[in-house]
Amino acid sequence: MTRSIRSRIMQYGLHALLSAFFLLPLAFMFVSAFKADEMQLLTDMGSLLAFVPYGEISFGNFAKVFKNTPYVRAFVNSVGITALTVGLGVLVNSMLAYALARFRFFGRDLLLALIVALIIIPFEAIAVPLLLLVNELPWLGAEGLTTGWLDSYQVQVIPFIANAFSVYLFYQFFIELPRDLEEAALMDGASRWRIYWSIVMPLSKPVIATVAILQFLARWGDLLWPVMVVRGDTYGTLPLAMQTFFGQFPREWGSVMAFAAMATIPTLALFLAFQRWFVSSAISSAIKG
Amino acid sequence: MNHKTSTLVVALIAAWGCAAQAQTVVTVWVHAGPGPEASAYAAAAQAFNQHNKDIRLELTKLPEGSYSDQVNAAALARKLPCVLDFDGPNVYNYAWTRKIIPLDGFAELATARADMLPSLQRQGSYNGKLFSVGQFDSGLAVWGNRKLLQAAGVRIPAKLSEAWTLDEFNTALKKLKQSGVPTPLDMKFNYGVGEWFSYGFSPIVQSLGGDLINRNGFKTASGSINGEPAVKALTMLQGWVKAGYVNAATKDDADFVKGRAALSYVGHWTYRDYKKALGDDLVLIPAPKFGTKAVTGAGSWNFGISADCKNPAAAAKVLAHLMTPAEILRVTEANGAVPGTHAALALSKDYGPNGALRLYVEQIQQKVALVRPETPAYPAVSTAFAEAVNNIVAGADVKKELDRAAKRINEAIEDNDGYPTK
Amino acid sequence: MKPSQRTLAAATPWLFAAPALALLLVFLVLPFLMAFGLSFTNQRLVTSEHVGTAWVGARNYLRLFDDESFWAALRNNFLFVIVVVPVQSALALMLALLVNQKLAGVRLFRTIYFMPVATTMAVVAVIWSLLYSPDAGVINRLVQLLTFGAVGPQDWLRDPQLVLPAVMLLSVWQGVGFQMLVFLAGLQSIPGDLYEAARLDGAKPWQQFRYITLPMLKNTLIFVMVTTTIYAFQLFTQVQIISNSGASAPVDSFRTMVMLMVHEGFRNGKIGYASALSVVFFLIVLAISVLQRLVLREERAVR
Repeated sequence: MTRSIRSRIMQYGLHALLSAFFLLPLAFMFVSAFKADEMQLLTDMGSLLAFVPYGEISFGNFAKVFKNTPYVRAFVNSVGITALTVGLGVLVNSMLAYALARFRFFGRDLLLALIVALIIIPFEAIAVPLLLLVNELPWLGAEGLTTGWLDSYQVQVIPFIANAFSVYLFYQFFIELPRDLEEAALMDGASRWRIYWSIVMPLSKPVIATVAILQFLARWGDLLWPVMVVRGDTYGTLPLAMQTFFGQFPREWGSVMAFAAMATIPTLALFLAFQRWFVSSAISSAIKG
Repeated sequence: MNHKTSTLVVALIAAWGCAAQAQTVVTVWVHAGPGPEASAYAAAAQAFNQHNKDIRLELTKLPEGSYSDQVNAAALARKLPCVLDFDGPNVYNYAWTRKIIPLDGFAELATARADMLPSLQRQGSYNGKLFSVGQFDSGLAVWGNRKLLQAAGVRIPAKLSEAWTLDEFNTALKKLKQSGVPTPLDMKFNYGVGEWFSYGFSPIVQSLGGDLINRNGFKTASGSINGEPAVKALTMLQGWVKAGYVNAATKDDADFVKGRAALSYVGHWTYRDYKKALGDDLVLIPAPKFGTKAVTGAGSWNFGISADCKNPAAAAKVLAHLMTPAEILRVTEANGAVPGTHAALALSKDYGPNGALRLYVEQIQQKVALVRPETPAYPAVSTAFAEAVNNIVAGADVKKELDRAAKRINEAIEDNDGYPTK
Repeated sequence: MKPSQRTLAAATPWLFAAPALALLLVFLVLPFLMAFGLSFTNQRLVTSEHVGTAWVGARNYLRLFDDESFWAALRNNFLFVIVVVPVQSALALMLALLVNQKLAGVRLFRTIYFMPVATTMAVVAVIWSLLYSPDAGVINRLVQLLTFGAVGPQDWLRDPQLVLPAVMLLSVWQGVGFQMLVFLAGLQSIPGDLYEAARLDGAKPWQQFRYITLPMLKNTLIFVMVTTTIYAFQLFTQVQIISNSGASAPVDSFRTMVMLMVHEGFRNGKIGYASALSVVFFLIVLAISVLQRLVLREERAVR
């Protein structure tokens, strides 16, 4: 009994220390967001007061964010674009990974190696060629056939749906997945698509959650591409809107923190929603059954 | 025809009719932060649209932080707006790559061209043609906290001719430090590595007789940016940081306002905030004579018409509107800059004979203000110099850093074959 | 099988692969090939017809090898990788193990450890740069406290020796939560029966860890290390923010390769040179990844 309690106490102690390490900078952000007095915010920075709601506490900074930036519009754009990219991405990338993991076909090994190599290419390396490319692509939209994708939603979604790293994550997961269920279904005459959709994907909740969160974060915080392809408020996303506070001096730290605090909430919400998918799923029981 | 088809036909004719009467749309991009400048431009756009029914001004405000990246990307994709603003010395690069068109041929801009301050005319000219008009010029001098200066026994120059000499300046710093001011000179290092370093610190080099690049032909930076005067200037700057007169690690924009510094070497844009904080204790001190003469920065954001514009004449009308005294004053009231035309200057309170900011105009008129190098290589010059300044105040070897900057600039010039102006 | 069924069977993998492959080809491979082509030219960011772009052969590459900023950036990346990959992977594994226990409230802690990952890196870097302030920063206060005043306040972001460790700390803080999730997914896929059986045999927790967890996690471990390595090489946002948020240490003491790519490409407009940088970057990281995989001897489970 004592050992178990001792181990519990140690665990909680460890958790407490780690939580402090991980939380404090964020506490700084949230607390500063509510400090309406800019001067005081800066003075507090050097002491423990940085983490404490102290002084003039109000929603003043948040009001400033809504007044000076197209926050609501940017928020809606960000959510829409990111959700679309991530959703389609999960589908399309897992399909490719499934092909690589479950089929033996000519060129498979080479393709797999190529995909892993593609992970290395940072976006910054292809940003300019991609800009030139999307500027020449045709698009069938409300105005008929137009050339050039700039200042639109599609330019922020389509290039990012397929992602080599997501494919690799799915692949790693699929190859570990026992094939018994799928083989049984094949024997019963089920189509590959049925197997993929009704058996493999439901069992892949942990990796789907991981890929979704990772891609969501990458798209949510991307600044470089929106800077290059979008101007103004109509199609702009949150990182672009936050730029309003950078470059002009004096920096309104309070507004920056308020903006950042609000921008963090959706990703947190997403993570919380996906939480249970990380709990031990029915994999082992499914195999036995 | 049945009912549906006839409705369709009527609709089509109506649409055609509307299209025929469509306005010319002039897209305008300005850089704007969350401050009062943004509302000034919005009001300017509104005023134009009210008086001009055949041209519609479509204003897009872009955040300053990523502004040049957005402009460059748009230039690459040939999607620049009709009218855009850009920071002073970028004019030459845009003109050389033909991203903006000459303004000499537009009758609408004749008055603005003639009335603009000479420094702005110089800033906007490249290869004999005028490529940009500026609503305002900048002012750079030293703000002082009268109380702290008097307490330390430092003489406050009353006019431009009484500017401090280098010895006086160094003594002032020492006296201020001894009187208890932690870091007497605020040089806005919190702005980060960027145009401020070049705009703000090259005058010190120039005051000692040096420059960033050889202005004779702009073919090389050797001997200029790494010449003796430059080395001396930046060693001096490094010395001030080492002696504790300047806090190069500051992230706080409020050092001067909070009394941690008694002097603030920065431009006109801080005027409103400083005035609010210090009231009558705020004094404007002329740029010191670090060498034989005083030199200060010049030039600021200005407007041009892009080559992508389908209706340059309409764009010129928009520019002419922006250059009227009323609109110029609207902006300079917001940002504290020097009004860019003589007409506007005459009407300005702050820049009038007894105005608080009169000193800036005097610096321009008496040629203390020196335009930044008028070369398409300027972006490369600025980046190289700014990086060198950053490394030097962190303790790096002055000559080595400046030599490296010279090498980079020369490489850029070589890459572009010396920017031929055929 | 009927012939049509055979064709379908042969085509099925390609049908599954088609959408992603098409997108990757158009939006990733093609631009990279374009970049490869551009690396042999003197392409500028702001161009015009009358200036044109010329073929310069290998000049960009030759200049690259002569550029001390390039070697500095490479060195910085290597230092970063050598420290961050083991530290972050180990910490992530430890967190995953901790969070995998049946403890009341463990879900809360899981969320807390993930929160840094959920925050935009740009904001994270800004917050940390404020925390690192020499006179007014919390980090210095903490260090003074922990060392009982022996270690004075440091200028973390302007001291060339300290700036890279400072960036490392902030990156680990931000990134470890995600690796923790990956390890967690790996841990979850280890069948519980193995532990049951081991416990019945009298194995202690440490032995269970060494003989069950680690081997079962081998692929996950390799995966985490390879991907963290790649991420470490791609390091950009944090260092860029630090350079933008005030005077910093001499840039070469912390600038990374991707940051150099962006500086040369966007700030200096030298697209040709930046493209050469990205090609060299790609080859270097590719070589390292391949080396890593060979050394760690990954088990491919598709038989």
